[in-house]
Amino acid sequence: MNTQVSLDLQVMLETQGLCKYWGGLKALDDLSLQFFDKQLHGIVGPNGAGKSTLLNLLCGHYKPTRGSILHKGEAIESIKPWAFARRGIGRSFQKTNIYPGATCLENCCVAVQRRMGGNFNFLRSRYTQKVLDEIATEALEKVGLGARRDVVASRISYGEQRQLEIAMVLATAPEVLLLDEPMAGMGHEESQLIIELLKKLRREYCIVLVEHDMDAVFELSDQLTVMVDGQHLTTGSVDQVRDDPRVKEAYLGQGDEVF
Amino acid sequence: MLFNKRTERIFFWVFFPLALLMPLFLADNTFFVSKLTSIMIFALFVMSLDYLVGRCGLITLGHAMFYGLGGYLFWMIAPEYEAVNFWVYTFYICMIAAGVALVIGFLVLRTSGIYMIMITLAFAQMAFYFFSDSIDFGGTDGLFIYVKPETSIFGLSFFDLDNPTHFYYLCLLSLFNTLVFFRVLIRSRFGRVVDAIHENPGRTTALGYNIFIFRLMSYVIASALGAYAGYLFTLQYGFVNPSMLAWTTSGSALVMSILGGMGSIYGAILGTFVYEGLHYVLEHLTEHWMLFMGALIITMVMVFKNGIAGYLEKLLEKRA
Amino acid sequence: MTTSLFLVQLINGLQYGLLLFLIASGLTLVFGVMGILNLAHGSMYMVGAYLVWYFVEHTGSFGLSALISAVIALLIGILMERTLIRQLYRRNHLDQVLLTIGMIFVFNALQGLLWGNDPLGVAVPAALSSAIPVTDVLEYPVYRIFVALLCVGIAAVMYFMINKTRLGMLIRAGESNREMVECLGIDIRKLYTIVFAIGVMLAAVAGVAAAPMSSIVPGMGEHILITCFVVVVIGGMGSIKGAFIAALLVGLVDTFASVLVPQLSSMMIYILMAFILLIKPQGLFSS
Repeated sequence: MNTQVSLDLQVMLETQGLCKYWGGLKALDDLSLQFFDKQLHGIVGPNGAGKSTLLNLLCGHYKPTRGSILHKGEAIESIKPWAFARRGIGRSFQKTNIYPGATCLENCCVAVQRRMGGNFNFLRSRYTQKVLDEIATEALEKVGLGARRDVVASRISYGEQRQLEIAMVLATAPEVLLLDEPMAGMGHEESQLIIELLKKLRREYCIVLVEHDMDAVFELSDQLTVMVDGQHLTTGSVDQVRDDPRVKEAYLGQGDEVF
Repeated sequence: MLFNKRTERIFFWVFFPLALLMPLFLADNTFFVSKLTSIMIFALFVMSLDYLVGRCGLITLGHAMFYGLGGYLFWMIAPEYEAVNFWVYTFYICMIAAGVALVIGFLVLRTSGIYMIMITLAFAQMAFYFFSDSIDFGGTDGLFIYVKPETSIFGLSFFDLDNPTHFYYLCLLSLFNTLVFFRVLIRSRFGRVVDAIHENPGRTTALGYNIFIFRLMSYVIASALGAYAGYLFTLQYGFVNPSMLAWTTSGSALVMSILGGMGSIYGAILGTFVYEGLHYVLEHLTEHWMLFMGALIITMVMVFKNGIAGYLEKLLEKRA
Repeated sequence: MTTSLFLVQLINGLQYGLLLFLIASGLTLVFGVMGILNLAHGSMYMVGAYLVWYFVEHTGSFGLSALISAVIALLIGILMERTLIRQLYRRNHLDQVLLTIGMIFVFNALQGLLWGNDPLGVAVPAALSSAIPVTDVLEYPVYRIFVALLCVGIAAVMYFMINKTRLGMLIRAGESNREMVECLGIDIRKLYTIVFAIGVMLAAVAGVAAAPMSSIVPGMGEHILITCFVVVVIGGMGSIKGAFIAALLVGLVDTFASVLVPQLSSMMIYILMAFILLIKPQGLFSS
C-alpha cells in the first residue's frame, strides 16, 4: 500500500514483485515499493526482516530470484553491480567498508575519480588533479570531516568512519542514496550529526534509509515501510505507520521494545 | 618526487650508481659481469611478479609461463641466421605476450585466492609440458639462438649483445626503466584504482568500477614485462629451455619477492640480489648449501615480517 | 584397447588414485582445519620413502621398517608444528608459502646429506611379491593390490574417525569455523598439533607404501606435491570426501591418458583441473 506524498515527484527506484530466495529460505517475498526523488524513505523491521537483503538487491550486490527493479522506469535487475553505481545508485554499508590504509581525502578521491575519468591513465600522477581533490574535500566537509582530511582512515574514530562512508557515497554524485544503518554503533551526539546531515540531504537526493534507531527514523522519514520476515507489512507516513496495530504487534510480538 | 619512501630513494641512489660502476671494478672478470647480468634479468622478472602479487593482489604461480614464452617466442618469430633488430623484436614479443596474457587473464581472473593460484599453475604446467614434450620445440633440451639481435636505432648502434659488458648495461637500463615505469604506474590514476581494488575490492565495485578490467590490464602489463625478462635471458646465453616455464621458477621468484618485501617493487630487486648472492656464496662454501639457504629463508620469514624492505623501512622510521 | 589392457589400466589408475588420496588427504586436512598450505607436504612423502629404505637396509623387515618410519614421521610432524608451523597461524598465505618452501630446501638438503643423490630401491616384501592372474595372459602384482587396500583401509579409518569420534567432531568444527572452536576453550593448539602430525604422517605412509613400486630419487617430493595440489583443488580445499573422489579421478585420467593420448599425457591432469575450475571455481566439494 503506497501513499504518494506529492504527486509530481519522480519515482527514482521501484521494485515490482521482488523476491530473493536462498534455496528454501525466503529472505524477501513479493516486495513492491516505490522510492521518490527528494524524499527519505525509511525501512524498518525486526531482525531478519530482509532490510539488508533489500538494499543488497537495490544496489546490484544480489540478483533477484524473481521480480524486477526499475530505475527511472528502466529495468535494471540484471545489470552488473558496478553498473548500478554508475547509474547514480550509491550505497553505504552497515559494516564500515572504507579503505583503511588511505587518508580520508584519498578515500573520497577514489570515489570521485570514477566519474572524472582518466582511470586508465598510466602516466598522469594521481596527485596532480586539483579539481578531484577539491570535490573530494567538499564531500568530506559536507559530512563534517573536513578537519580529518589528511588523516589515515584507520586512525579516525568509529563514528568518523561512518561519516566517511557517507562522504564516499556523496563523492560519487549519486541520485539515489541507499544507507544501511549509517548510525550503527554510534553514540547520541554522533547520531545527531548524521541526523542533521540527512535532514539536509533528503531534499537533494532520493534516500532509502535502513535503521534500527527508531527516533532517527521517525524524525527523518517522509515515507516509512515496515517489513517482517521478508514480507512487506505496510508503507505510509510516519504517523500512519506508528498508529498501525499490526506494526505494534510485529514489534512487540518479537519482544522488541520500540514504541 | 618519484619515490615516496625514504628507503626506496636510498636504495635507488645506492644501487644504480654502484651497478653503473661495477663493470669498471670488475674489468676483466666477464664471469662476474655475466653473473650480475643474469641476476638483473631475473630481478626484472621478479619485479613484474611483485607488482602482480604484491600490488594488485593477484597471486599467481604461473608467471614463469610468460618468462619462458618470451624466450620461445623469440625463437619462433626471429629468422634463424639473421640478426634482427632488438628494439623491434622487443615490441613484437611484448605485444604477442600481452595478447596471450589477455586470453589467459580473461579465463583466470574470474577465480580468486587459492583457486587463482592453482589455475595459473595449471596453465603454466600445460605450457611447460607442451614445450618439454614436443620435439618441434626442442623438448627438454630446449633450443638455441644462433644469432643475437643488433641494437641499432636509425643506424646508430649502441650495444653489441655479444659483449658481456654491453649486455650488462642494456639489462641495467632495462631494470632502471622498469623500476621507473612501475613507480609512475603506481602513482598514476590507474594505480589509484588498482590500489583501491587491492585494499577493498567490494568497496571499489560499489563505487562503480569494473574491477575485472583493471585486473586484466595489470595482468597483461606484468605478463608482457615477464616475457621481456625471459627474452633477455634467452639472449644472454643463446638458448631457451622448458625449465624457464617450470613452477619452481615461479616459486623462486615468489620467494625472492617476499624476501625483498612484497609490493614494494624495489624490494624485488633487493630480494633477488640477496637470494642469488646468498646462493652463490653458500654454493661455494658447502655442497649442502640448500640446508643453510632453507634455514635462512625460514629465519627471514620469522624475523622480517614485511621482507627486507619492510624491515629497513621500519628501521628508518624509528630513527626519524 | 583390449579388455585385459583396460582392466589393468583401470586397476592401475585406481591404485594410483588411492595413493594420491592418501597424500592429498593429509594436505587438505591441514588446510581445512588450520588454514595452512604446507608446501613441504611432498617432502614428507619423500621422507617416508627414504626412511623405510634406511630401516629395511638395517633390519631387513619391511613391516617393521614401515612402522618405525610412520612413527618417526609422526614425531617429525609434531616437531615441525610446534616449532615452525604455529608461527604461521596469524600470518598470510604468502608467508606460509615462503616458510614451507624454506622447509623443502632443508628437507632436500638433509636427504642429500644423509642418503646421497643416487636412486635407491626397496624390494617388495617377500610375502606380497607374487602376482595374481587377472586374465589368462595377464597377472597383477599382489603388492599393488595390497597398497590399494591399505589406502582404502586408511580412508575408512579416517571416515570413521572424522564422523564418529570426538576428535573428528573437533576437526569438522574447526574446518567450518576456526575462531568458534578457539572460543570454546578447547585446546586448539593440541588439536592443531595432532592434525598436522597426522597429516604429514599420511604423506610419509604413502611414501613408505610407494617405495617398493618405484625408485626413490631426489625431487620425488616436489613431483608428487604438484599432483597432490591438483587433486586437492579439484576436490575442493579442505574436503576429504572431495579429495577422495578427485584423487580417483586424477589417478584414472592420468593413467588412461598416458596410454590413450601419450602426447598430451603430462598435461592431462592440468587440463582436467582447468576445466573443472572454470565450471566450478571452488572445486567439486568445497566446504
